[in-house]
Amino acid sequence: MSQQQVLEAQSLTVQRGGRPVLHDVSFAVGEGEVFALLGGNGAGKSTTLLTFLGLIEPHQGRAMAFGQDVQGNEDAIRRKAAYLPETASLYAHLNAWENVSYFLELARSPRPRDELSQAFDEVGLPADARDRRLESYSKGMRQKVAIALALLRSVPLLLLDEPTSGLDPVAIDEFNALITALAERGSTVMMVTHDVYGACQVARRVGLLRRGELVGTFEAPPEGMIDADELHRAFARSHAS
Amino acid sequence: MNPVIRVAAEEWRYWRRSRLGLAASLVIVSVLLASALATWRQVAIERNQRAELQTTAENIFYDQPARHPHRMVHYGHYVFRTPPPLALIDPGVDEYTGAAVFLEGHRQNSATFSPAYSGPHGGSFVSLSPATVYQVLVPLMLIALGFSALARERERGSDLLLLAAPMSARGLWLGKTLALAAAAALVLLPLLAAVLSATGFALDGIALVLGYGLYLLGWVCLTTSVSARSRSSSNALAVLLSVWLAVCVVLPRIAASGAEVLLPVPSKIEADLAVAKAMRELGDGHNAADPAFEQLRANLLVQHGVDRVEDLPVNIRGVVAEAAEAEQKQVMDGFSEAYAQQEQAQAEAVRWSSFLSPLLAIRGFSTSLAGTDLAHRHRFLVEAEQARYQFVQDLNRIHASDLTYTDDIRRSSDAGAEQRTRVSPDNWRSLAKFRLTPDSLADRLSRGMPFFLLLAVFLALATGLGITARPAGVR
Ligand SMILES: Nc1ncnc2c1ncn2[C@@H]1O[C@H](COP(=O)(O)OP(=O)(O)OP(=O)(O)O)[C@@H](O)[C@H]1O
Ligand SMILES: [Mg+2]
Repeated sequence: MSQQQVLEAQSLTVQRGGRPVLHDVSFAVGEGEVFALLGGNGAGKSTTLLTFLGLIEPHQGRAMAFGQDVQGNEDAIRRKAAYLPETASLYAHLNAWENVSYFLELARSPRPRDELSQAFDEVGLPADARDRRLESYSKGMRQKVAIALALLRSVPLLLLDEPTSGLDPVAIDEFNALITALAERGSTVMMVTHDVYGACQVARRVGLLRRGELVGTFEAPPEGMIDADELHRAFARSHAS
Repeated sequence: MNPVIRVAAEEWRYWRRSRLGLAASLVIVSVLLASALATWRQVAIERNQRAELQTTAENIFYDQPARHPHRMVHYGHYVFRTPPPLALIDPGVDEYTGAAVFLEGHRQNSATFSPAYSGPHGGSFVSLSPATVYQVLVPLMLIALGFSALARERERGSDLLLLAAPMSARGLWLGKTLALAAAAALVLLPLLAAVLSATGFALDGIALVLGYGLYLLGWVCLTTSVSARSRSSSNALAVLLSVWLAVCVVLPRIAASGAEVLLPVPSKIEADLAVAKAMRELGDGHNAADPAFEQLRANLLVQHGVDRVEDLPVNIRGVVAEAAEAEQKQVMDGFSEAYAQQEQAQAEAVRWSSFLSPLLAIRGFSTSLAGTDLAHRHRFLVEAEQARYQFVQDLNRIHASDLTYTDDIRRSSDAGAEQRTRVSPDNWRSLAKFRLTPDSLADRLSRGMPFFLLLAVFLALATGLGITARPAGVR
């Protein structure tokens, strides 16, 4: 395994509820790379992220992060990874500040208010909403707070589960720009998505997952982007078969 | 801030914002107030009343004019049991049993076969003593406050975010437990205040509060552990309410009813009839000529070398009365001791059930320490009986030595004899005043210790259930 691989799936096989969910999945994500995992509903995308966080144990194979086996090093790896869950699971009874502060304090990396404010600006959370409890937020606004939290962790690895779901087109563009900028500064990003075109905009590499198996990998040419139409066709083909 | 404490603080904020805290504190404060008021009033009244009654009874008794000693035997005398200071918290069996006994000749009165004592049921929902509130209602409040502590996070998916924070599943459980434990500690403060005001900084009071602390901490851990292991809040609530119902309502009833069926204690009427029947077979101590005392009479005549009872240097009537009382005591003691043993056996059976219900364990601990358990009540009865016997026999001996037989039999027809058969009140004024000494601290602590250990086991099990819970809904 090479030193600059931040994430590495080695013949990963995972069962959930007694049924196989991932089967012999192998891939690697290098430092500063943006990797997108594409696949249909129930393909095993979220499961892959949870396995890298040590929240699910592989049956066979290994999930490696920062050169370490995730199993047995969960705490160390979670400290270096920010996770954006699939469902925005922040607290409805807290406002944006309180939510973000709480999770940052649990991570033992509290941030001053102006940094929070800056992160909210970056994700485009309206200033007048920040003092309101999340129970009054729209889906996209909640997603923005969750993204802000992931950014504020300032960790070298981001594991994002459908980060753009619920975001309007402008917010998606802003988000993509944000991720690209982060990667340029050395962050490694692995994101799960259904959004073929979004994936092509940010990811240098896209893995296609189908019913627990990695059926293809698409790489962007140097100085170019992955051809979204080609990817879309591949996705549709894999679904049809 | 330490993440565990941060989680606890966050839980408090959730309670405040969701009004759960407000609802719970309103309920508990009003229940505590009601119970405090009721108990305080009752104890104040009882204390004054008993002290006053005791003094009045003593004054009346000691102020009797010169009287025939056997009249005083029948006149009788009340003794009272002043509730121990911690009865303020836990009246225990005092709630059901008489605190006064009427001491008189030829009878062991009602406290022995107390009509009010209704078997080992002691302390179910009869009254709202502080003990009942802390044993039954506070756990319910803790459940209401804590059932969703971890199940809620799982339900809403925030558990994944917490675990990824990173926060260990154990740390999360500890934080939620700490939050609920702090609520329990807050609810314990009024108890601590009541205990301190009742006993000052005494070991028994502090131990009592510690016992309740252990019991409530057991409930706290049980609540968060079940919450950690449940798929949803509603599952957690259902499980916890079932456990509460079993521990606080069903098991104590089953234990009590089981003890009654397996180890029956005769009813008061049955017991009274049996005593009366046995007593009828004894001689009549009021009749010196009763054939039952033939032997006694003959021995006495021989002993003093005279032919007629009139010539004896002692009053045969007093001697017979003393002998009869002794015989009666033997018969009555047989019954009352057997009865006490049966009651004790029932209590013992219920005590063993404490393995199944922490409520029974805290109840045993609490009444042991307060000195309001069955053992304490039995000692009261035994000591009161000793006082009764001594008082009756002292008067009988006065009857035998200070009165002549001739005067005694002509009392109703001869005014002079009637005057001469009265003895001075000094004779009963000198009777020792009865005061029940409270159980020693060592006694109460050693009776409470097994229950304390059971409570510790309860806490250990509940804790084990929590720290071994697998994290999150991720399987
Ligand atoms: N908690 C669970 N218990 C048992 N099986 C599960 C659980 N969660 C997911 N699965 C199963 O695992 C498989 C993969 O689920 P996963 O959530 O990883 O899919 P996904 O690719 O993220 O899908 P989606 O695009 O809908 O989010 C599915 O077949 C699903 O039924
Ligand atoms: Mg998913």
